[in-house]
Amino acid sequence: MNTTSSQGLQISTPTDTTIVLTRTFNAPRRLVWEAMFTPDRMRRWMLPPPGLTMTTCECDARVGGKLSVAWKSDEADPVMTLRGEFTEVALLEYAVHTETMALGSGQTIGSLVEKHQFADQGAVTAMSITQTYNSKEDRDGALASGMDQGMEACYQTLDALLGERS
Amino acid sequence: MVLDRSPRLDLVFHALAHPARRAIIRQLTGGERNLSELAAPLKMTFPAATKHVRVLEHAKLIRRRVEGRQHFCRLEATPLKEATLWTESFRQHWEAQFEALDSLLDEMKSEERARPRRS
Repeated sequence: MNTTSSQGLQISTPTDTTIVLTRTFNAPRRLVWEAMFTPDRMRRWMLPPPGLTMTTCECDARVGGKLSVAWKSDEADPVMTLRGEFTEVALLEYAVHTETMALGSGQTIGSLVEKHQFADQGAVTAMSITQTYNSKEDRDGALASGMDQGMEACYQTLDALLGERS
Repeated sequence: MVLDRSPRLDLVFHALAHPARRAIIRQLTGGERNLSELAAPLKMTFPAATKHVRVLEHAKLIRRRVEGRQHFCRLEATPLKEATLWTESFRQHWEAQFEALDSLLDEMKSEERARPRRS
């Protein structure tokens, strides 16, 4: 399975437990790395789930360094957390970190391992993110998460598809 | 929240809201299958699998034809390319983040141009 958008995002599932996202960015590798792993920069692109606000964002991209993000809602603070640890890092080349999402109550929603790889492609930088889940069920769940939550985007897609049928 | 959804869409969403039924659809993307072939990987009883098939049939996502004692199912909704549909909101979420990243990177490049780094 491969889906390509006009912006160049490619999503593939090379194995039963992985999702690979690949995209190029019009900036040098050094800046892409900084944007991905510096808390002040991360706050700018890590879009919160609908209705949530990011409260904490910590990221130390060194082996053993921690990743910690938290979101609050009107009802709860935190309502959701993301915690992980960097296990392999080669500056500007690649970084691997664990990642566990949990509810404010502490109940785990899911965990995965993320590997970010960066490569020069002429004047642009190619970044790939490989997400490895514990099982095929978890992987499929992540891919279909919007579906289960009945997100509006999904409705619109369905509307369009159903429109084609009728 | 959109409340005036068509009943057909409600049926489709209800039908797709169960992992077993999504698994059936996934199997059917490989072509026509009979009921036992569909039931086997679901690790559920034949009647339970049949129930899920009926829900999909009711939503008009699959069509069933009977040949002797065999019931064959095939995907009815060809435009519902399951992979595209399932990954759509996942993809949109990431694409939105990457577009934000594009803008951020543009700003970072401007910052650098305004304040050249000393080497």
